[in-house]
Amino acid sequence: MAHLSDSAESLAASLPPLMVRAEHLASSVTLGMHGRRKAGIGQSFWQYHHYRPGDPATAIDWRQSAKSEHLYVREREWEAAQSVWLWRDGSPSMRYASGRETKLERASLLALALGVLLVRGGERIALYGEHEAPANSRLAYRRIGYALAERAPADDAVPPDAPLPKNAQFVWFGDFLAPLEDIERAIRRLTRVNAGGRLVHVIDPAEEDFPYLGRTRFEAVKGPENQTLGRAESVAGEYRARFRAHGEAVALLARKLGWNYTAHRIDRPPQTALVALYADLSGGHRMAG
Amino acid sequence: MNLLANISFGAPWILLALAVLPAIWFLLRVTPPLPKRVVFPPLRLLFGLRDQEQTPAGTPWWLMLLRLIAAAALIVALAEPQIGRTLELSGKGPVLLFVDNGWTAAAGWEARKGLVREAIDIAARQDRPVVLLSTADHPDTNVLDAGAADRAARALVPRPWLAGRSAAVAALAKLHFAVRPEILWLSDGIDDGNARRTAEVLSRFGNLRLFTERSGSGPLALNGTVNTADGFETEVLRAGTGSVREGAVTAFGEQGQTLASARFRFEADRSKTTAHLALPLEMRNQTARIAITGQDSAGAVLLLDRGAPRRSVGLASGTSGEEPLLSGDYYLERALLPYADLRKGTISELLERGVSVLILSDIGRIAGADHEKVAKFVEGGGLLIRFAGERTASGTDDLVPVALRAGGRYLGSALAWASPQRLAPFPEASPFGGLGTPGDVTVSRQILAEPSVELSAHTWARLADGTPMVTAAQRGKGWIVQFHVTAGPGWSSLPLSGLYVDMLRRLLSLSAGVEPSEMAANANLPAVSVLDGFGHLEAAGAEAQPLRASQLATTEPSRSHPPGLYGAPGAERALNAANAGTVLLPFPGLGVHSAYYASRAALPLETLLLLFAALLLLADVVISLILRGYVPNLKRLTRGAGAAAALLALLQTGGARADDAFDLKAALDTRLAYVVTGVSDVDAMSKAGLVGLGTALSERTSYTPLEPVGVNIEKDDLSFFPLLYWPMDPRQKELSPVALSKIADYMRSGGTILIDTRDLTLGAVRGANNPGEQTLRRLLGNLDLPPLAPVPADHVLTKSFYLLSGFPGRWDGGTLWAQALPPGGADAGPVRGGDGVSPVIIGGNDWAAAWAVDERGHPLVDVSPGGPQQREMAIRFGINLVMYALTGNYKTDQVHVPAILERLGK
Repeated sequence: MAHLSDSAESLAASLPPLMVRAEHLASSVTLGMHGRRKAGIGQSFWQYHHYRPGDPATAIDWRQSAKSEHLYVREREWEAAQSVWLWRDGSPSMRYASGRETKLERASLLALALGVLLVRGGERIALYGEHEAPANSRLAYRRIGYALAERAPADDAVPPDAPLPKNAQFVWFGDFLAPLEDIERAIRRLTRVNAGGRLVHVIDPAEEDFPYLGRTRFEAVKGPENQTLGRAESVAGEYRARFRAHGEAVALLARKLGWNYTAHRIDRPPQTALVALYADLSGGHRMAG
Repeated sequence: MNLLANISFGAPWILLALAVLPAIWFLLRVTPPLPKRVVFPPLRLLFGLRDQEQTPAGTPWWLMLLRLIAAAALIVALAEPQIGRTLELSGKGPVLLFVDNGWTAAAGWEARKGLVREAIDIAARQDRPVVLLSTADHPDTNVLDAGAADRAARALVPRPWLAGRSAAVAALAKLHFAVRPEILWLSDGIDDGNARRTAEVLSRFGNLRLFTERSGSGPLALNGTVNTADGFETEVLRAGTGSVREGAVTAFGEQGQTLASARFRFEADRSKTTAHLALPLEMRNQTARIAITGQDSAGAVLLLDRGAPRRSVGLASGTSGEEPLLSGDYYLERALLPYADLRKGTISELLERGVSVLILSDIGRIAGADHEKVAKFVEGGGLLIRFAGERTASGTDDLVPVALRAGGRYLGSALAWASPQRLAPFPEASPFGGLGTPGDVTVSRQILAEPSVELSAHTWARLADGTPMVTAAQRGKGWIVQFHVTAGPGWSSLPLSGLYVDMLRRLLSLSAGVEPSEMAANANLPAVSVLDGFGHLEAAGAEAQPLRASQLATTEPSRSHPPGLYGAPGAERALNAANAGTVLLPFPGLGVHSAYYASRAALPLETLLLLFAALLLLADVVISLILRGYVPNLKRLTRGAGAAAALLALLQTGGARADDAFDLKAALDTRLAYVVTGVSDVDAMSKAGLVGLGTALSERTSYTPLEPVGVNIEKDDLSFFPLLYWPMDPRQKELSPVALSKIADYMRSGGTILIDTRDLTLGAVRGANNPGEQTLRRLLGNLDLPPLAPVPADHVLTKSFYLLSGFPGRWDGGTLWAQALPPGGADAGPVRGGDGVSPVIIGGNDWAAAWAVDERGHPLVDVSPGGPQQREMAIRFGINLVMYALTGNYKTDQVHVPAILERLGK
């Protein structure tokens, strides 16, 4: 026990900024939802139990507690069969930023904040490709946060071949710039174990808007490939159409295989994406359950 | 088109180089500019996209055009273009320039100079010798090479006298050329009586070409001026008659200040007109010269004698009630009025009014106190002129130049032996010297002086028999002049003659402090300052010789007597280039090939074109840099440079799109906004403040504002913002009426403005004397604000998120004002809020400074006096304010929820 708290404390001491932001992001989202909490309307309520030290203060059901002398914590339905697996694309193209924040950072933030929310909502989470089992604890998302923020990202554009339990939920954060066949192959491999899933397409505004003018040489993030355009603005329309079509192709692919697709531009606030994602995941839950 | 036709080239063969422009076009086309490089993740999506102008393109057509124009400008500039008519010289012989350079040529001198320069240029290029004969100078018949001719042309100036062509024509005899010379006669168009002969001689001598002024632009001259009761009458002359011509004359003072100007107008077929310069007396005395506006020539300038200023003359008379035609006063008045400011009255009255000349007509003895006053007046420099009369004949006081005998002398009466006497010529030393003595002036009665040794020295005028008629003596600084006859025609016919007026005028200048010896006819007047050909006064050179006063009126200006001012400083006499005898006759038909001067000299375009090409190339560099993606650096460089910014704005069309972008940005998210005051430090602080407040809001509340925006009240749409932060600064500019009505609309439609007068930041005082409040009053004084009241303790602002008891910012204290709430009775709830949000909240605690954070989130400004606690309270106020602005009276209702629930429970 002492050993565990020690490690937790050391973990907290070196709390990566990503973790702080993700927790804050998650808490701002829950704050935003607090007004909707009303008695009796469709929650997957399971039971109350007495407050124990270690339970988050936000989990206390004050109305229930006010009826007696004890503090009660509302517990949700426990769906042990399911776990949420997060995976974030760490390929070089994700490390690109036209503004201040890279796609990688935003994807990590969303992944971790979603993890925090899911843990608070009682889900078990794990980072795909790691060797940790899914867990429902603060330590679980801290570990994930640590892995996302502190470890150098892998160059893979698609999830590697790693074990995945059956009926898991899979959330894939990436820019989906890999060839469509690779993406399809990866999703098919994941659905083989009956995983439900969700693609979160993280988009840099420059990728979608193509704000370039004049003679421009476009270079790959990594590698010698390049393309020179005499008048970049003249192809802007065509490019935008292609980019949209690409996004739609990814979305279509996802739907075809029973997955969901969300696009997120990183110049938009992450809250919006997170709320949608979380609500959608819990909705998907209900359907699955 | 006319302009184009006037362009000519010095080296036209260089224009052939224009043929290479297509080659330049081709070269520019096949060399695309360096691309700018960007990293682009979805590169794969770009593969296969083809822009139409991939290979040859790159350079936009307008940039190509710009470069081609620059190249063309460069080539054309090298071909030495010039605008203006070019001279063409036929033949191969020497070039003879026969230039009239009297003052009549000065007004159009630039055209002549250009023509001379052009002719010399051409002669130099064709290696032809040049002779430059200027008619107003000593004839110089040296044959000049190009360099010497150029120097001579530079030294050629118009002279302030008239050209003398006969000497120049005579000098031609010394010239002998093997080849018939080409003669250019640059004439002034004025016939001096020799024009026809000159033309004949010249056309015999060589191939004559005559240049004249266009009709209607010939020289003008000022002929003379008459001093009238209310100003100057100035006579203006022109050569020939011709059509209607208008102009203006201006009177200038000593220091060149303009005193008055008047228009004149030559009627068709008239060569004379007058201009009337209305000037009050004092100004008239200050007038130094009169000139025709826009005519820079000596003849168009009329210098005035310094002695000419009008004096104020007092006239006191011993007799009164006489018939006017017999009274001396009448004749004095008539004689002096044009030249002097005449006052009448008693002696003491006149002296009190400060006259400088006192004329006493037949006052024998000056009585009592007046006597002393007059003596003092004369001692102090006054001029006393006394006329004799019946009273004088019966005895005088001591204020006379010479002792007078009582009685008098009758000449030519019935019982007298002697006949009426005529005047003797004036003595040379007398100030009347040089005035003629008309034969019909006779004196029939006079008073006599006691004979004495000095009498002849005191005598300024005599009768033919030698008896003094005018005597004078100096007393102290002044003079006493005694006329031994009456002022009227009773004793002599002098008052009936013009001499009377002239004598009085001479005496008037005596009162200017001029020594009588200097006024004498034989006085030699040295030249003080002379006019140059253009009519500017300059110090006299060695060539200008002194002039006798008596010759002044008859001297024609010449090299030895240039027009100008002569005499002792302070009393200069003027010799003018044009005088009453001047006539300007146009050329008769000369029967030679003639042309007009160009309206202006040829203008070389080389420098202009080179400059133009350089500017274009500079612009090309800037544009190329932009096209290659150096825009950010460039923007920083040219932030101040309005010209470059204007150029960029011209090239990058799409100002309207910028507006849309602003609106989209503002509309898609709820943002905090501040008013851009135009003062950069204040705006930076507002922005930093709202960033800090936004950080606090997203940390503590469910509202996450994006980056705050600055709003330009004049231009931007305000309706997107629930809250505007507006710091007051005295440096802020006035608002336009449009902006004021926008603010009014904004407040009416539910917006909230937080006006921060920043009391202690701007000045040490709060209240009405604070610069912030004064600015507020200046900017929004015309705005229709709702009734305001201090925010009460139960206002919803104190409860909308945090519970607050004060509203500190960087400073603490002061009053926060908001729209007055409806009065709350005893049964009012715990919180009062109006229906809706107060449109304006005014306070002075400089909140932005308290909220402001830098990029790493550290506070920028210390708060006083409270430290971190106060900053926290400031942030809480900010959060409350934003909540208040966003939720309105929803929060007010929330407070009542318990009561409502309780009621529901029942």
